[in-house]
Amino acid sequence: MKKFMPVEELARDERFNQITQADRMADARSAVPANAESTRRSSNRLTPARADASDAARSLMHGIFVGEIQALEGAGRTCWDFTTGEEAPFGLKLDMARQAWDEARHVEISLKLGDWMGSDVGQYAENTVLFQAACSNDPVLRLAGVNRALEGLAIDVFTSMKEFGEMAGDPYLEFCEDWMLADEVTHVKMGSDWLRKVTENDPERRKKALEFQSIVDKMFSYGGSRSDSDESSLGIARRFRELAGFTSDENEHIAELGLQALEERKAQIREKQAAAKN
Amino acid sequence: MTITVTPEAFSFVSFDSAYIARIATHVAEQLGLTDIDINIAVDETSPLTRIDVEVTDSLISIRPLSGALEDTRRPRQQSELATTLAMARSMLRARDRLRGGFENAPLDAELTLPQAAAWDTYILGRISRMDIEVKKQAALYNFRNRHGFNDASDHVFEKIWNTDSVTWDELSALSANTLTLSA
Amino acid sequence: MANPQKPRAPFAPWDRRELPGSFSVEETARRVGHYKWAEMKLFEALGGWIATVPELDIKMRLGTHCYKHAWHAELWHKRLPELREMNPERLTLPANDAMVRFIEAMTEPEAPELTIEKLVGVYRVFIPHFISAYTYHLNNTSEITDMPTIRSIKFILQDEFDDWREGEMLIQSLLETTEEVDRAAAHQARLEKIMLEAGGIAGPGSIGINTPAPQGAMS
Ligand SMILES: [Fe+2]
Ligand SMILES: [Fe+2]
Repeated sequence: MKKFMPVEELARDERFNQITQADRMADARSAVPANAESTRRSSNRLTPARADASDAARSLMHGIFVGEIQALEGAGRTCWDFTTGEEAPFGLKLDMARQAWDEARHVEISLKLGDWMGSDVGQYAENTVLFQAACSNDPVLRLAGVNRALEGLAIDVFTSMKEFGEMAGDPYLEFCEDWMLADEVTHVKMGSDWLRKVTENDPERRKKALEFQSIVDKMFSYGGSRSDSDESSLGIARRFRELAGFTSDENEHIAELGLQALEERKAQIREKQAAAKN
Repeated sequence: MTITVTPEAFSFVSFDSAYIARIATHVAEQLGLTDIDINIAVDETSPLTRIDVEVTDSLISIRPLSGALEDTRRPRQQSELATTLAMARSMLRARDRLRGGFENAPLDAELTLPQAAAWDTYILGRISRMDIEVKKQAALYNFRNRHGFNDASDHVFEKIWNTDSVTWDELSALSANTLTLSA
Repeated sequence: MANPQKPRAPFAPWDRRELPGSFSVEETARRVGHYKWAEMKLFEALGGWIATVPELDIKMRLGTHCYKHAWHAELWHKRLPELREMNPERLTLPANDAMVRFIEAMTEPEAPELTIEKLVGVYRVFIPHFISAYTYHLNNTSEITDMPTIRSIKFILQDEFDDWREGEMLIQSLLETTEEVDRAAAHQARLEKIMLEAGGIAGPGSIGINTPAPQGAMS
């Protein structure tokens, strides 16, 4: 088995259909109103108050499900791709193995929640951006990408879903999301701790890792789907992020990236929609 | 009966208006809506799944956002099942208003979320008996979201799902009573 | 209650543990170092394979099992300094070259169609050899001086049995044709032959046979 697996090779059964972030961005349609004068509702926050709440929650749940599969695969690959000692400390690899177990449970939980909400495995397209963006060939960059950017996004998503469950009175959803949230905080903490430890005497490498994280964070703002604006379906879960070792400066930076991504996406949509009309 | 579909050609999605018209015609025949014109105007700029339906004595206007007809596995591609479901849901809603005892129902925009969920349950239950694949668990989940996650709510869901004939007054009372029980 | 001042036998009548054991401190450390090396190779392979198997249930099981073997490696890593090896990496070694070749052969299958081979290598060859080496160690080490190793082995063996059973059932569920049975058997035989050369997880003598007399052992 080779080291460093390209995203196209992630193994799936025939129920899954994988798409890339490029496919997704080529879609000129948008739930985000591109024009201020748009008549469509301005809040895209995932709350039960949305008329399409069940559909939206089901689709997000499937996104979580495939995200968990990719997180499981990413953590597993870190155990394999890097030589113990020379490339990655033994303790870091033990943590990644632990994370693989946690992510395997998250896949199990997501499957059960999918049944509960009435969706099938593979019912929605699988965006492979998580694995693609997060799995760098440098262990420190991978840690920043997977354990800080990807897992940070997981904290935001689970916080939204937990709140959704609370508001809708869905005890099952709230219970599961709360447990997954606890694990994700642990995973981000692992990332924060190892990043600090491994780059202790290498400020240049730390800087590079944080820059990489920032790029991945922007990608994970999904063209504006995560920001402080109500036009984004997800918010930024500051309290849980701080528990996991993000500083408030880092959280503000992610908030800024989110708003930037939202504005860029809106401009892009305006352009594409104008082009389509001509 | 005339069925018209706009736009004729799609640029944001790979949909086919003739295909939509064929499916709509078939569903209209199944539902006995052959004596009224139907206009379908797809808003292809949004991927969301909402469908607005308006009815007069001579015209049913169906305005789906493109997500309602889409194959969720293959973004921007049309799904035969989703299109069939969207047409059946819209036309049953229209038929209920025209001749199904729903004359007293408020306009779509004025329905409360629980009322909309109860009506949808009634519609989807009937569609499931038309040999069209419907995800009952998804409908149940929507009903629970609007009426509570408890046995009383599930019981009412089953009742509505299995009925072939209920009036708006009966349905809205069932929904309101369930909310009282769940509170 | 009996008089608390009355002398009691230090070993209760039901405590039949014996002092002698087959392994010296050095021999124990050598074996433990091999166990750690082998458990590491196993968790790394399982982790790597997760992304290569299309079967969703197996993907999740590999993720779960990956952690268990990492934990076993950690237990052995922590045991080494207690056996006077202050630099655990020094003894974290394969038993011999054949063992290295065994791991290479076991981790060779990569394509998504090769789930049978992946599972056979782990659950029909590698893990059964862990079970036998650990059982031999458990039954032959001093029940008094080496109790910490015994305690770890008991935890680990419980995992190995559980995972072996799960893996074996997954293999059985994948074998649908006689050709697939042949495939599984051929791969098992290929790996077992390399393992024969290696002599087991801890080299020759892993389960006591072909063992040179242990150095400094009390038996
Ligand atoms: Fe997770
Ligand atoms: Fe995680």
